[in-house]
Amino acid sequence: MAIGWAEIFCQFLVGISRSMILFIVCAGLSFILGVLRVPNIAHGSLYMIGAFATFSISKMIGGTYGFWVALALAPLLVVVVSLIAERLLFCHLYQREHLMLILFTFSVSLILGDLVKIVWGAEYRSVSPPEILKGSISLLGASVPRYNLFLIIIGPLVGIALWLFTTRTKIGKISRAAAVDREMVGVLGINVSWVFSFAFLVGCYLAGIGGALVAPTVSITLGMDHTLIIEAFLIVIIGGLGNMWGALVGSLIFGVTHSFGVLFWPQFAIVFPYMSVVIVLLLRPRGLLKSVW
Amino acid sequence: MGDKRKPSNAVWILGIIFLFLIFIPPFAPRFFTYILGLIFVTSLVAMSLNLVVGFGGMFQFHHGVFYGVSAYATALVLTKTSLATWIGFMAGPIVATLTGLIIGWFCVRLTRLYFGMLQISLGSLLWAIVFRWYSFTGGDDGIHGIRMPSLLMSLNNSYYFILAIFILSLLLMYKILKSPFGNTLQAIRDNPQRCEAVGINVRRYQLLGILIATFFAGVAGVLFVILERSVFADLLFWVLSLEILIMCLLGGWFTFFGPILGTAIIISLRTFVGKYTEYWTLILGIILILVIFFLPEGVMGYVQEVLKPKMKEVKQEEKGIDASSGIGF
Amino acid sequence: MLRVESVFKSFDEFMAVNGANLQVEKGEIVAVIGPNGAGKTTLFNLITGLLKPDRGRIIFKEEDITPLPPYEICRKGITRSFQIVNIFPRLTVFGNVQVAVLSHQRRSSNLFRSAERIAVKETREILETVGLLDKENLVAGSLSHGDQKILEIAIALGNEPELLILDEPTAGMSPEETQKTMELIKRLAKMRELTILFCEHDMEIVFSIAQRIMVMRHGRTIIQGTPEEVRSHPEVQEAYLGEEYARG
Repeated sequence: MAIGWAEIFCQFLVGISRSMILFIVCAGLSFILGVLRVPNIAHGSLYMIGAFATFSISKMIGGTYGFWVALALAPLLVVVVSLIAERLLFCHLYQREHLMLILFTFSVSLILGDLVKIVWGAEYRSVSPPEILKGSISLLGASVPRYNLFLIIIGPLVGIALWLFTTRTKIGKISRAAAVDREMVGVLGINVSWVFSFAFLVGCYLAGIGGALVAPTVSITLGMDHTLIIEAFLIVIIGGLGNMWGALVGSLIFGVTHSFGVLFWPQFAIVFPYMSVVIVLLLRPRGLLKSVW
Repeated sequence: MGDKRKPSNAVWILGIIFLFLIFIPPFAPRFFTYILGLIFVTSLVAMSLNLVVGFGGMFQFHHGVFYGVSAYATALVLTKTSLATWIGFMAGPIVATLTGLIIGWFCVRLTRLYFGMLQISLGSLLWAIVFRWYSFTGGDDGIHGIRMPSLLMSLNNSYYFILAIFILSLLLMYKILKSPFGNTLQAIRDNPQRCEAVGINVRRYQLLGILIATFFAGVAGVLFVILERSVFADLLFWVLSLEILIMCLLGGWFTFFGPILGTAIIISLRTFVGKYTEYWTLILGIILILVIFFLPEGVMGYVQEVLKPKMKEVKQEEKGIDASSGIGF
Repeated sequence: MLRVESVFKSFDEFMAVNGANLQVEKGEIVAVIGPNGAGKTTLFNLITGLLKPDRGRIIFKEEDITPLPPYEICRKGITRSFQIVNIFPRLTVFGNVQVAVLSHQRRSSNLFRSAERIAVKETREILETVGLLDKENLVAGSLSHGDQKILEIAIALGNEPELLILDEPTAGMSPEETQKTMELIKRLAKMRELTILFCEHDMEIVFSIAQRIMVMRHGRTIIQGTPEEVRSHPEVQEAYLGEEYARG
C-alpha cells in the first residue's frame, strides 16, 4: 500500500468534517424524533432548501460577506418554511402512528422537492467558500482544506449550543421533559402544542444550518435530500433515538468509515458506512446510547 | 361463510375487467399496453407488500429491495450466463426469497420502527453494493438490452404473459390470505401479544409472511425485466420502497384490491399528468396529504365503508339487542 | 398441577412480586385476591411466560416451565384471558376463536386450504358454550365491552387448556353480566373438567365459587387455603378484607 500517514490523517479530518454536517442535521432530526415522535422525512428537503437558499443569498449579496450572510439567513428561511408546514399540516397529525407519519412526511418531502424545482430549477449549483476559508493549511505534514477545518470547529459549537439550550433554558428543559413523559408536561399546565411547535422549529433550524454549511462542499442539486435523509435516519437509529450524543457518535461512525472507504477502496466507499450501520444494528438494535423512547 | 351471493357479484365484475384486459392490446396504442403492463407489475409488488404491512402489521420499509434483487438476478442470469431463460425466471423469486429469509430473520427479532429501520439499513447496504459494483451489476448504469426468448419478443406477448402471471399470483395471494395462515397473520397484526398467549410463535409466522411477500416481489421483479428489458440500481433505492408503501396507503391497507388501485392512480398520474407538467410529484404529494387527512383507510377502504352502510346498521341493531338480552346461554 | 415456588419479579426499583407461592390441584377453582397493586396480574404474566421471574420456579405437571416462551407454555396446556380486553379487533368473532383453535390443532401454517372450512365445528362449539354464536360474523372490535370480555374467555378456550387462568374476568361488567359470567365459569369448569385460576375484585364472587383462595399483599403470599381458613386468618382480616368480610 502506498498510502502514507499524511494522507490517512488528512482523510480522517475530512471524514470528521463531513461527520459534523451530518451531526448537525441528525441532531435536529433526532431532537424532533425525541420530542415529537415524528420520523420526519421532510427533514432532508429542509436541508436541501437550506443549501439552495445559501446559493441564492450568497450570490445576491456577493463579495466577501455573501457566504456569511447566507449562513445566517438561509437557516431562518428554512425555519419560516417549516413554521408554515408545522402550523398548516404537522400539528394536526402528531398523534398518528409512525407508519402514517412516515408516509405523511414523505408526501411533504415530495411537495417541497417540487417547490425547490420550481424556484431553483433542476441545474447543478455551487457556492464558493469565503476567501478566508479557501485553500489548505498544512497540518502535521498533511494539507487539509481550510473549509473542512472550519466545519470541525463549527460542529462542536453547534453541539454545545444545542446542549446548553436543552439543559439551561426553560423551553429546552420542557422539551426534554416532553420527550420522556408527555403527559407530565401537559399536567404542569404548559401548552404542549406550543412546546412541540418550538421544538420542531429548532430541529428544522439545524437542518437549515446543515444545508448552509454543506453548500460550498458539494454540488447543490435536486435529489440531495434523498441521499441525506436515509443516512440521517440510520445515524439517528444507531446512535439511539432522540439522543443528541448518539447522533454525534453515529455521525462520526458514518463519516469516518466513509472517508476511509474513499482512501482504501474508493469504488465501494459508500458501502462502508452502510456496512458499519448494519454491524451496529445487528449487535445493538436499539442504538449505541440510551434512547429517550 | 354466510352470504354466497355477494362474492359472485364481485366475480362477475372481475371477469368483465379480465375480458376487457385481454382484448386491449390489439386495439390500444402500444404505449397504453405498456403502461397497463407496468401497472400489473408494480401492483404485484404493492400487493405483496400489503400482505406483510396491511395484513401482517409489519413495518416492511424496504420492500423494493426484494423486487430489485430479483430483477437483477434474472437480468444477470440472462446476460452473463448461457443458461436457459426459464432458469433466469426462476432465479429471480428464489434469490428474492433467500434475501427475504436473511433480512427477515434479523428483522423479526425487532418490532415496529426498529424493525423498519434495520430493514432499511440492510436494504441500503445491498443498494450501495449494486450501485457501485460496475463490473458485475453495471453500477448506476444498470443493465440494458436483456434478450428475451422469441415468444416474449413482442410487447403484446409480454403483456399477456405478465397478465397471466399477475392473475395467477393474485389468486395465490388471495388463497393464502383466506387460509389458516392468513387468519393467523392478521391476528398477529391485530395483537401479537395475544397470539403468543394462544400458542403462536409470532416471529416464525412473521418470517413466513415475509418469505411469501418477498417471493411475490421476486415474481414481480422477473415481470419487470420481461417488460422493460433492463434493470437499474434505483429499483433498490429506498424512495421506490416508500412509493410502493404509498400505493398501498392510497388504495387502502386493509383491502385486498386496494394496492392495485393505488398503483394505477400513481402510475397514471406520473404518465398522464407528467405529460403536461414536470411537477407531478407536487400534485401527488397534495393528493397523498388529502388522503392521509381525510381517508386514512385509503380510497378502497373508503369505498367499502360507503358500500356497506347496511352492514353498519345491522351491527348497531345487534348491539342494541345484545345490551338488553345480556349473554344468552 | 401448578406450583409457583417463591417467585420474585422487580421492575427497576419496584418489587412487583416478592416471594409468591401458589399451588393449584387438578380440577380446582382457585382465586387470587389482594388489593390493587398486590402483584396479581404480574403473577399471572409470570406463570404464562409474558414476563420472566428474577428468581423462583414455576412447575406445571412436574415440569419446570419457567424458561419457556409464552407460546410454548400455552402448548403445555395453560391459557389465559386478560384483564384489559385483549382480542383481535379487526377479525370477526368467529375468526378470533378460530385463531386459537387452529393454533391448538397445529394448523396455523396451512397455506392452501380455505380457513372457512377448517376447525369450524370446534370453533362454533366454543362460541355456543359461551353464548356468542349468534354474533360470530360481527367484527370483534364492534362488540360491547361485556361481550368482548366473554370473547376473551372464548379465545382462551380455543386451546383446550387444562389450566385456564382468568385475570379479572368480570372487570367493567354490569352486575347482571357479572352474574352470568360467573355461572359460565362454573359451568365450564364442570363441563370441560377445567382447572381454573382467577383473580377478582368482587369478594362475594370469590367466596362463592373458589374452592381455595390465595391472598397477596405487596407481592407476597400471605396465605393460601380454603375460604374459611382465609376468612379467619388474622392478617387477612386486618390487611385486606376488613370487618364486613370477616363476619362473612
